[in-house]
Amino acid sequence: MPKISVNPITRLEGHGKIEIFLDGDGNVANTYLQIPELRGFEKFCEGRPVEELPRIVPRICGV
Amino acid sequence: MAKPKMALYWAAACGGCDVDVLDTNEKILDIANLVDIVFWPIALDFKYHHVEAMEDKGIDLCLFNGAIRSTEQAEIAKLLRNKSKVMVAFGACACFGGIPALANFTDREEIFERVYHEAPSNNNEKGTVPLLKTSVPEGELELPELFDTVLTLPQVVDVEYFVPGCPPPVDLILKLVDLYARGQLPPVGSVIASDKTCCDECDRVKEEKKISRFYRPHEIITDPKKCLLEQGIICCGPATRGGCGMRCVKANMPCRGCFGPPPGVVDQGAKLVSALASIYQGNTDGDVKRMLEEVVDPAGTFYRFGMADSMLKRKRLQKSRGSVRNAKD
Repeated sequence: MPKISVNPITRLEGHGKIEIFLDGDGNVANTYLQIPELRGFEKFCEGRPVEELPRIVPRICGV
Repeated sequence: MAKPKMALYWAAACGGCDVDVLDTNEKILDIANLVDIVFWPIALDFKYHHVEAMEDKGIDLCLFNGAIRSTEQAEIAKLLRNKSKVMVAFGACACFGGIPALANFTDREEIFERVYHEAPSNNNEKGTVPLLKTSVPEGELELPELFDTVLTLPQVVDVEYFVPGCPPPVDLILKLVDLYARGQLPPVGSVIASDKTCCDECDRVKEEKKISRFYRPHEIITDPKKCLLEQGIICCGPATRGGCGMRCVKANMPCRGCFGPPPGVVDQGAKLVSALASIYQGNTDGDVKRMLEEVVDPAGTFYRFGMADSMLKRKRLQKSRGSVRNAKD
């Protein structure tokens, strides 16, 4: 199917892309939002002292 | 004459560096008068294909923030490098790996396991994980591949200048723009910050660096006028480049090293270990053992922002996997 990619999504915090699939008539058949990023805070915060987390997790989103 | 073209991009980052540029407040208008911004995902609607269509070296100045931890981020870094005359590693993540490089204590497999399977907030009964290619009824979807090891920007492409900090202070952004505008950029490879250490620029009272024990914050009420390190609070100031304006220490928080190593220092964490060991008052094996116990998370503290840039670079993968298995046994 023909596809329109919106990459990257702009004017928001974070990374994203949108894939729009078109049917034979050029109408939208389906649309997918993808998030092409992962940093892994859930994992790498493990083992850090609890008093340090207020200095680490603000970097999840700085906007 | 046409205005110089500027691009701003974020890789593995939080957006703080981008907002930081807006923290220049009304000066952002001066920047906008000085340059045309041709790419800036957080604020403007240009896409990757717009950048691809630009001529090589068609961008005059690129401020690149964020670490490199995926194939897409590496590709965009190389794309922007080809298109840019001057590439600036902007912020701690691009310069040293930053907070995202704490992931170098683990690897992609462990991160996926935690994020998509174990995390208690998950509702993922099907066990869905991101795949490089996913077939859907309409066609195929693609995602970039995550690296096991988070990289700094200069580990992926050549970089002309470094502006450290998490985020860089506004005065350093304006300094960079001013130097650029006046055609007075320093020699390639320069760090736009101070050449002194944080300690050199800290105005807390320093008396005698002798520590009998390290304290965690809940174990002591510190004197806000005295050196935190001399009071037993681990502060990364001795092994960190200055120029930050002492934002943390002025808020009674110890430095965590977001400006990276000072000039002449290769490994920030090793330098800090050296500094701490030389001031800790311990003569017996028992003292040394106690000292080690008092430092709760040495690697995560001494390499808080600099793991990717360090000589360690990462925790050894094989060992990491083995230890996880042992822990579960």
